[in-house]
Amino acid sequence: MWHELRSAIPLIAGGNGYILAVTWVTIRVAVISTAAALIIGLPIGLTIGLGRFRGRRALHVLANASLALPPVIVGVVVLLLLLPQGAFGSWRIAFTLKAVYVAQAILALPYIVALTPAAIQGLPPGILAQARMLGAGRLQLSVLALREAKIGVIAAIIAALGAALSEVGAVVIVGGNIQNYDQTLASAVLQQVNDYTNYPYAVGISVVLLALILVLTGILTVLQQRAGGLHLRFRVAQ
Amino acid sequence: MHLLWEVLQRAVPLITHGNPYLLSVIWFTVQVAAIATVVSAVIGLPIGLMIGLGRFRGRQALQVLANASLGLPPVVVGLFLFLLFVPQGPLGSLHLPITRRAVFIAQTVLALPYVVALSAAAFRALPGGLASQARMLGASRWQLAGLALREARIGVVAALLAALGTGLAEVGAIVIVGGNVYGYDQTLASAALYEANAAHYDDAVAIAIVLIALILVLMGVASLLQHFDGGIRLRLRSAAGAI
Repeated sequence: MWHELRSAIPLIAGGNGYILAVTWVTIRVAVISTAAALIIGLPIGLTIGLGRFRGRRALHVLANASLALPPVIVGVVVLLLLLPQGAFGSWRIAFTLKAVYVAQAILALPYIVALTPAAIQGLPPGILAQARMLGAGRLQLSVLALREAKIGVIAAIIAALGAALSEVGAVVIVGGNIQNYDQTLASAVLQQVNDYTNYPYAVGISVVLLALILVLTGILTVLQQRAGGLHLRFRVAQ
Repeated sequence: MHLLWEVLQRAVPLITHGNPYLLSVIWFTVQVAAIATVVSAVIGLPIGLMIGLGRFRGRQALQVLANASLGLPPVVVGLFLFLLFVPQGPLGSLHLPITRRAVFIAQTVLALPYVVALSAAAFRALPGGLASQARMLGASRWQLAGLALREARIGVVAALLAALGTGLAEVGAIVIVGGNVYGYDQTLASAALYEANAAHYDDAVAIAIVLIALILVLMGVASLLQHFDGGIRLRLRSAAGAI
């Protein structure tokens, strides 16, 4: 193991072109899929968390259950939809980087949809009722809830990002794990070990992957812990 | 939707005809999930109890470490274990690479952080007075552990469920250490990966359906356990034992 680690260090320090390219693809996949999941998932999460309608609890249970969906199953279903004969075959994106974005966004979605309402429900019970009483509109209420539940919402984003960075099941199926094209760092490790038995490369890529996870979750954790919600709350409630 | 629909129609008979390959993969998956969950519970719950209830320096640091290990990518865990297992590695004499035992070990290692981090959090969330009162009444370490396990039952079962879930769904680590050998050390998840990559979509979908069914059944049983029986009567009994 030391031998592999030692031969991996020059690969990372020397800025190996292949590893750099895979790192860049991974960052794009993580950011794009998490952003897409946020755009689609936050409104749904807010609806479940703030709404007062029948079936709200059932929706939340469904969202929680979808967290347990194995990535390989998401990969198989997405691929069958994207293949030329499939429902979205006309998009022609099977085995491309775009397919990887789609699959990872779908995998990230349950984290946002399930964890956002959980964070909102954990808020002190008075806040939202008070805001409603003071005549806050739907949008104001949503902004208030998001700000107050910031810690939980950012935790959901960290979980979604973590899935995009470390998951391989779906990426390999919909993208085909094509070297130098639609590989992420995680799926590149798999290929280097299983197809090429190139352990120094696998270790080098793993080290970069761990570093990337640390940096991204570190940044988000700082954002999560910084700035209180109180003064924002008063501004909205006015 | 027609491709997915056609594939679904061809996949259903594959399941209902009780294909022996599929049956052997199901059996191996159940074994992997059961062994990984039980072993990680046996190793992880005492650690979780220590972190959750212990009163020593560095307890917080251990909890942070346990939480962080939840974020370890399975492929990285797989690679680390694989390099330990290869003939030139420290555990090379055990001849583990590309065996079923390697798959059992890898899934257990992956399940462990869930058991440790989530059970410790559940023990921490117990009402503050409970543990100190039991201690004051002279409860031994074992009695305290039994009390905490009963009281934090919902959180503990949730932790075991998360461990079980990874055992069923994860592919990154087991494909690396086990090599995803057809009909030998494949779980349902890694078999679905194998069939999808080989463009055998009928088989991939059949396996996916069985996997979802298995997850639903196991999760259903576990949630029943979670809500089964109240804690209060047990608590009194155990507190009485403590006196």
